[in-house]
Amino acid sequence: MRVSGRSMLGAASVALAATTVCATGANAARPASTEPYIPEAMPPGFRVEPSELDGPVFADPKGRTLYRWPFRTMRNGVTGDGKGESNCADAASTESAGLMSPYPGGLLLPELEKRPSCQAMWPPAYAKDGDKAVGKWTVVTRRDGRKQWAYDGTVLYTSVRDRRPGDVLAGDSYRHEGDAPAMREPIQPKSDVPPGFGVTTTLRGRLLHTARGFSIYVFDRDTRERSACDAACEKVFVPMQAPATANAHGDWDIFTRESGERQWMFRGKPLYRYDEDDRVHSLGGGDVPGWHNVYTQETAPPPADFTVQDTPSGQVLADARGRTVYSYTCGDDAPDQLSCERPDDTQVYRLAMCGAGSAERCERNFPYVEAGPGARGSGRLWSVVEIDPATGHFAANGEPGALRVWAYRERPVYTFAGDVQPGEVNADGLGDFQAEREGFRAFWWRDDFFRE
Amino acid sequence: MLLIMTVSLLGAAGARADDAAPPGRTIAYVVTNLSWALQSTPEMTECPQGLNEGVREQFKLLFPDAAGNKRTLVDTQLRRQVESYQPTTAPDALPFLEGQGPVAPGLDLDGTVGPEDFTGPDGARGVDNQMHRVLGCIANYRAPDGPIRFFEDEMVLRENYNRIIVQLTAVDSLVDDPDVDVMFFRGRDKVLVDAGRLKALPGGTQRIDTRWGGRYIQRTHGHIEKGVLSTEPVNLLYPWDAFYMPTDQYMWGARLHLTLTPEGADGLIAGYTDVETWYMHMLRNWSAHYQSYGKSSGPSIYKAMRRLADGVPDPATGANRAISSALAAKFTEVRVLPFSGAEHAAIAAAKPGVPYRGMPAPRPAAEELAETRGSPPKTVNESVAGNP
Repeated sequence: MRVSGRSMLGAASVALAATTVCATGANAARPASTEPYIPEAMPPGFRVEPSELDGPVFADPKGRTLYRWPFRTMRNGVTGDGKGESNCADAASTESAGLMSPYPGGLLLPELEKRPSCQAMWPPAYAKDGDKAVGKWTVVTRRDGRKQWAYDGTVLYTSVRDRRPGDVLAGDSYRHEGDAPAMREPIQPKSDVPPGFGVTTTLRGRLLHTARGFSIYVFDRDTRERSACDAACEKVFVPMQAPATANAHGDWDIFTRESGERQWMFRGKPLYRYDEDDRVHSLGGGDVPGWHNVYTQETAPPPADFTVQDTPSGQVLADARGRTVYSYTCGDDAPDQLSCERPDDTQVYRLAMCGAGSAERCERNFPYVEAGPGARGSGRLWSVVEIDPATGHFAANGEPGALRVWAYRERPVYTFAGDVQPGEVNADGLGDFQAEREGFRAFWWRDDFFRE
Repeated sequence: MLLIMTVSLLGAAGARADDAAPPGRTIAYVVTNLSWALQSTPEMTECPQGLNEGVREQFKLLFPDAAGNKRTLVDTQLRRQVESYQPTTAPDALPFLEGQGPVAPGLDLDGTVGPEDFTGPDGARGVDNQMHRVLGCIANYRAPDGPIRFFEDEMVLRENYNRIIVQLTAVDSLVDDPDVDVMFFRGRDKVLVDAGRLKALPGGTQRIDTRWGGRYIQRTHGHIEKGVLSTEPVNLLYPWDAFYMPTDQYMWGARLHLTLTPEGADGLIAGYTDVETWYMHMLRNWSAHYQSYGKSSGPSIYKAMRRLADGVPDPATGANRAISSALAAKFTEVRVLPFSGAEHAAIAAAKPGVPYRGMPAPRPAAEELAETRGSPPKTVNESVAGNP
């Protein structure tokens, strides 16, 4: 039974103007919307690429994001890679593994004739002869005798889904708990935040918070030289104290309050926590005029004709008519835990769930969010893709009858016929394990009840 | 659901404040326990044929692992998931054991004593609780420790999402008052609990949630007689989530029947539960794995619920879309902090009942069945003989 909060992207609000504090000083040359990180030694040619959602990620010399497949205990067994070994096989799985309850393993998987192997989807990050370990990077010998790069002892892969440097389309940095599939994770350098701070990926951006998860805020009226938060204000918005040993570096500075108290400052803005926050990753302080959450980097906004709707649990992203927008999540129960959520994956699972196997019925129950003529996405996350509605797969260019639909991370988004009024989320969590493993999940733009 | 009730003891005409009136003539209660009211005796006399099988057991019955017969995921697991996500009223391929009478908790909702009615544990006749027939012989929902019953009950206290305020005004006494004004709304604070965090304590405070909980603000009237509050029927939308899945329930013609004390309240919330909304609530909170904890099966429950629905006929199809039911509820006294001007305005705008906000009514059964994928569901015997 899950005991933690839902592993959702949403923890932000478009109704409240969040702040990505602009870069100044030593890092001014870097775009303001990228997250600072702590450089570390890497193999020759390897590099760090900024990604729009997950922040900085390590990449191979061709700029391809590097992933690991962490060892995971599932409901009925384990999967993933242990230290120094790869369990990503070069033969396609044929049967379900029964790692998830309650269905047994040993069932023939769908569309076996098309099913790729794990390695076909996750090419190992091979090392060349003579490559040497450096820092956390090591070279391990695979069972087939070839050499593969490892980071912190775990072997590395690239993804055939990623096409451009900074793409992180096949894994993510936020969905690793509960009953989600055994996901691949991009490997990342450490965020450059002082001790006592942390950063979490949200739909809106990389949210800055305390080490315990409580959100950090800045005040419009504060400047680098002066704080407008007086003594009464400080009781509600508590300055983030900087210890005597703290030093300014990069985007981080020390602000000295009138009382002499040293306070952390990020990109020229003194930082606070909100005393009334009783949950981690809260946006509650941002409801106070002039105050904003802080993001080390923000994502590009959703499509212009999307809306944000209030629900009893927070805010969801919705289409132009106010109908809640959903994404479809799917990882199969094979040993290799391959994705079944993208249009270029098998559609058997999705069509079964939303339409009892019928694409037509599926489209009626969970219609695609169609994009208007000329609509184009902004950034890497939101895009317009063409879908063959008869199959659910990507359509060929110019294919008759294809739908132009909105997609998030190249996965189409949907509304639900059972949502009659704006703000209804009647299909959120519909699926296996509250749709963590398979099913539909609402885009939570702000959640006020999911975490304690 | 954490249900808070404020009882203002400003007297109705002719009534008087007495020693039973709480300080300040206002009292608030928070629901600390909530579960479907079922007859669950240790002897299981209400389930003479035993308890129902769940997802896991049904799978084994329908798709046995016979030698030489390789099962496919599509024809087994996905087939059952389809029947769960796209349920129909087609006859169940497996037997379903209904909860039996003659005794079941609940209230007389329709004012008649019919052949399907139960007798309450207190001897009251005409009890309408067809939900007992659906859930009464499913381990997940039975007292005292059915897994879903346990977790849904625990979440009432634990999750702020489930915190509703109901306000009663014009009450002179917790013992006897002919006319009280009842208002429901949601609170936004944790409940005061003891060191074990499982028992609510009276005297905690709550603020009203008008930011996210506006749709839950609603009102009705009632009376108190011999310390028991009875309210007039009202269509009640209430939040009841589990593990952070924001789900609501909708009860047509809901009424409270609660024994009041200065420290708490105890009793029933009874009415006609919307079937589609209940089922979607169940699917979203309790997928097949969780249903297996206590041997329940979504498709079987849905068919039984549609078959036994006895209220709120759909104008379009004539089929009943709701089922008589009761919730066993316990409350603890809390103090509601003074309202702001905006909060007062939100409350003042509340009207009796809440417009229906749940799943759309089901389509006609024939239309559903026509869309059923492939052939009708196999019986157990057919499956054993010709496992797909």
